[in-house]
Amino acid sequence: MRPGFLLPSIHSAPPFFTQQPHPGTNETATEHWATLILTYARHRKLFVLRVEDTEAADSEWQEVLRNERINRKLLATYLSAILESMVAKNSAVYDPPGQTRSVLLYWRLPEEWAEVLHTWAISTGQLNTILTFYEITDPPIPSPLSNMPANLLRKAIAVLAKTGRAQLITVADGEGVRLFQGTGK
Amino acid sequence: MRRGVGLAAFDRQEQSNRSFAQLSSQLSQSQVDNLHAQLTQFRTALAHFASTHRDSIRKDPAFRHAFQQMCSSIGVDPLAGPRQGGWWAEMLGLGDWQYELSVQIVDVCVSTRDRNGGLIEMDELLRLVRKLRGVTSGQVTEDDIVRSIKTLQPLAVGYQVVALADGRKMVRSVVKELDEDQAVVLAIAQQEGGRIVEDILVTRKGWTRGRARAALDNMLLRDGLCWLDEQDEQCGKAYWVTSAIKWDV
Repeated sequence: MRPGFLLPSIHSAPPFFTQQPHPGTNETATEHWATLILTYARHRKLFVLRVEDTEAADSEWQEVLRNERINRKLLATYLSAILESMVAKNSAVYDPPGQTRSVLLYWRLPEEWAEVLHTWAISTGQLNTILTFYEITDPPIPSPLSNMPANLLRKAIAVLAKTGRAQLITVADGEGVRLFQGTGK
Repeated sequence: MRRGVGLAAFDRQEQSNRSFAQLSSQLSQSQVDNLHAQLTQFRTALAHFASTHRDSIRKDPAFRHAFQQMCSSIGVDPLAGPRQGGWWAEMLGLGDWQYELSVQIVDVCVSTRDRNGGLIEMDELLRLVRKLRGVTSGQVTEDDIVRSIKTLQPLAVGYQVVALADGRKMVRSVVKELDEDQAVVLAIAQQEGGRIVEDILVTRKGWTRGRARAALDNMLLRDGLCWLDEQDEQCGKAYWVTSAIKWDV
């Protein structure tokens, strides 16, 4: 068990790992899964969950998708249904779009990421300069934005752009962004 | 008595009737007065008792139980609220206490309903209610829970205490009838820590496989009282009665 993350007691219940045929029960169980997945992702700063993670032995999701003690694991079909429900509730999006095997988890919504990005730029004095995506997601001093996937960053920048606080720029080796103080905030 | 003749005799008879009536009303009046006096005395004594023992009644479950038994044996309802003319409730604050407890019971039942389908074991309910109340507020007993659930009856929301064959009790918080087979399933699931499979019902209860499957599927699909586990090591497919599993809230 990874230190610092306490799995909920329902994770030790054998039937938790089976998709429930009763609609009401299924909804409850799926909700528990969605909460667990988001909490764990936030704790370990994981952004992506794939249906294949149920099978891969070296997945960073092992601890959640399996419970060795009671010899149960989440089946791929059920995880796929859970992801579908999470996407429906906007706590995740299929990424890349157009398939249903892999999602980007929204333990922070793009709107929330936008604020995190803006606050970070202000506190590190990087307003009005051009930043590459790489500089944001892999800064020399770790930030809340470290390791953030580029497509999520792009969504956050789009949110800031709407309020005139960011401008997406194409730079030589990819994409960059210029952040502004902005109005109102 | 010599019976007089003539008109005067009628007068005399009428007069004696009158005096008898007067005497009788005097007698009953004094009886009523006497009774009133006794009642007042009883009332004062009870009030005195209630106010001196108020704290013990609220804190000590054994004492509370004895007190409630005494009340029911003399035909006094300690829960009668102020509206029903019950000065008891005001005197003791017991009515409030009981209502407060029933609110907590509802709280626990509703908040665990999505896991147990509206059926909770008495011990589990007690544990959660105690947890909810904290340690300082004195102990709550099964008897208190049963009483509080009775106070919920006018609300017609179906709170009911169901007794299982092995003497355990469960509290049902949804309007749903449990049939006999389900009661048996529940009792066995309790012993097994929640897990139940067809084989257990067939070998222990002598049920046919069809009967066992029907009972389990009803609980699973119709009532949402149990969860399915398709990864059971022994049988491949097991049912878990969620109200029999111990959860931490």
